[in-house]
Amino acid sequence: MVDSTTGKQDITRIGEEGLRGRLERYRELRITEEELAVVLLMPVLAFLLAVSFYPIVDTIWASLHTGYVVQLPTQTTEFVGIENYRALFTDGSFWNALGVSLFYTFVSVPVELVFGLGLALLLRADFKWKYFAQAAILFPWALPTVINAKIWAWLLNPDYGVISDILVRVGILSQPYPFLSSPDVALYSMTAITIWKTTSFMALILLAGLSSIPDHLYESARMDGASRWRRFRDITLPLLKPTILVALIFRTLPAFQAFGLPYGLTGGGPGEATTTLVLYTQQAAYNNPGPTNGGFALGSAAATVITMIALVIALIYVATLYEPEVR
Amino acid sequence: MSLVDSAREATLEDVALWDIGKRFGFYGSIAAMVTISMFPVFWILLSSLKPPSELFVFPQEFLPYVITIQDGQLTVVQQFPLTLENYRAALQERPVGQYLINSAIVASGTAIIDVVLGSMAGYALSRLRFPYKLHVLLLILFAALLPFISRLIPLYKLAIDLQGTVFGPFFGLNQYLGLILPYAAFQMPFAVWIFQAYFNELPDSLEEAGLMDGLSRVGVLFRIILPVSMPAMATTAIIVFIYAWNEFLFALTFMTQDSKRTITVGIALFGGQFNSPWGIITAAVFMSLVPLMVFMLVFQKKIVEGMTAGVGKA
Repeated sequence: MVDSTTGKQDITRIGEEGLRGRLERYRELRITEEELAVVLLMPVLAFLLAVSFYPIVDTIWASLHTGYVVQLPTQTTEFVGIENYRALFTDGSFWNALGVSLFYTFVSVPVELVFGLGLALLLRADFKWKYFAQAAILFPWALPTVINAKIWAWLLNPDYGVISDILVRVGILSQPYPFLSSPDVALYSMTAITIWKTTSFMALILLAGLSSIPDHLYESARMDGASRWRRFRDITLPLLKPTILVALIFRTLPAFQAFGLPYGLTGGGPGEATTTLVLYTQQAAYNNPGPTNGGFALGSAAATVITMIALVIALIYVATLYEPEVR
Repeated sequence: MSLVDSAREATLEDVALWDIGKRFGFYGSIAAMVTISMFPVFWILLSSLKPPSELFVFPQEFLPYVITIQDGQLTVVQQFPLTLENYRAALQERPVGQYLINSAIVASGTAIIDVVLGSMAGYALSRLRFPYKLHVLLLILFAALLPFISRLIPLYKLAIDLQGTVFGPFFGLNQYLGLILPYAAFQMPFAVWIFQAYFNELPDSLEEAGLMDGLSRVGVLFRIILPVSMPAMATTAIIVFIYAWNEFLFALTFMTQDSKRTITVGIALFGGQFNSPWGIITAAVFMSLVPLMVFMLVFQKKIVEGMTAGVGKA
């Protein structure tokens, strides 16, 4: 079973060893590669099954049934088919929330990508105090979203906000501006805040991609007389494509699931001007309990729609940007 | 002076000027980015040190002290008194200290689980041969795409159902594990990814040498692989800790008792919409940011490594 000179197991003979030999082997901690893989992977797979995959399936199941009432945990729920989806799709607030989330996501992410690319090109250079500058520039990324929301709620406070103060001092405004309480502007403010927070994250991902592009490509292009712009367009961009894909997926899915920012910044208001899809779902599930078409039934239907959209977004990105490696 | 000479001189001067301009533009841009990034934090710190009479005024004071020259003499003029009263109120009148402790417990627990389980799975996926390896990796990474809100309601129902049963203390409302377990699962794909990327970089001969020396596969794992995987463990632990410290949706739903709330929930639920106690809020916000700032300064390299693991290599 075990080669006494090398200590290596002979994998080909496992089938013949029988139960007794196998137990003997385990007692001596002699296990094969495959057995070790199973032992090492089982906890993670069981964990993900219980806490990630099962809940998704349960959410879909719950979206096809009447609601679950917290006070009556043992109640039975009834199958209602697509009734919850009918209720969801006839709710104007759902469509509003979908619009808010799509605007927020598909405005903030491209802007972050462009700004992030600029910042990455800037941070590519080595300079004095780079460590501290980079720590400062990266810090907004590490802020908890809901605390970031509170920070900006204070900075953009309609009466005492410092942003209004600065804009008044430089003469752009004549009095404090209601950045968060004006229905026309609140969503733009929220989108700008998220761009402020995550541009540096985007920059860092892109920087890692940039540093993997070999220098000799730029040198030979320079010798051929390629301009700065041509070098950027013909070398940097194509070779950065896989990194851009990663950055887009990393940012789009969280942006689409924004919850803490609207919750802490505006509570979704004024009206429903900044109510994102996840905030709508959370409010539907927890502020509106009821056995039929309310509470968890409606919330589960909305959550299922969010899952579908998230997977479609991921799929589109991978299909359009992924190129099989040629090696 | 010939025409050629003067042309050359002009060019040289231009180059020097251009160089200075470039340096100025470069450092100017960096300084601008640092200011834009850190100004909100500076403003929160300043607000938290202001007395109430200075907080609710417009326009606001930007500096507590201003140096002026009067009659040829430098004098420091105090604009407003600095006070720690907001910090005292946050810690004594509100349970901000408890919130911070709760967050630290939850974040540490999450980091430990992800490091232990993530390193095990990452090792297997990187260095062992077995069938369906790629499928298993893709399944784990797929879990990262699933929205959090779609996992919230079933886990919440489960926690309610388990309340009062023997499983209540392990997974229930107002239990640390009720947050630690979901957080650990959410960050597991990331942890597995970090470890498998790290193990891919190690030389193949590592295990072979151990097996040659007569160690079992389990022995190789503990004697050889465990010690060399410390850098990946640190990276994973730091990023998972920051994630768990920052999470809000599950913390809001699962912690209904004030004494069990994490710092994000505690701050989010401070005061009403109109009469917010901004002095105390800014003090609590600043305290919640201190560990993150320390992390960013001390572990920047690890954080960057973790965020960009595998980027540009795949």
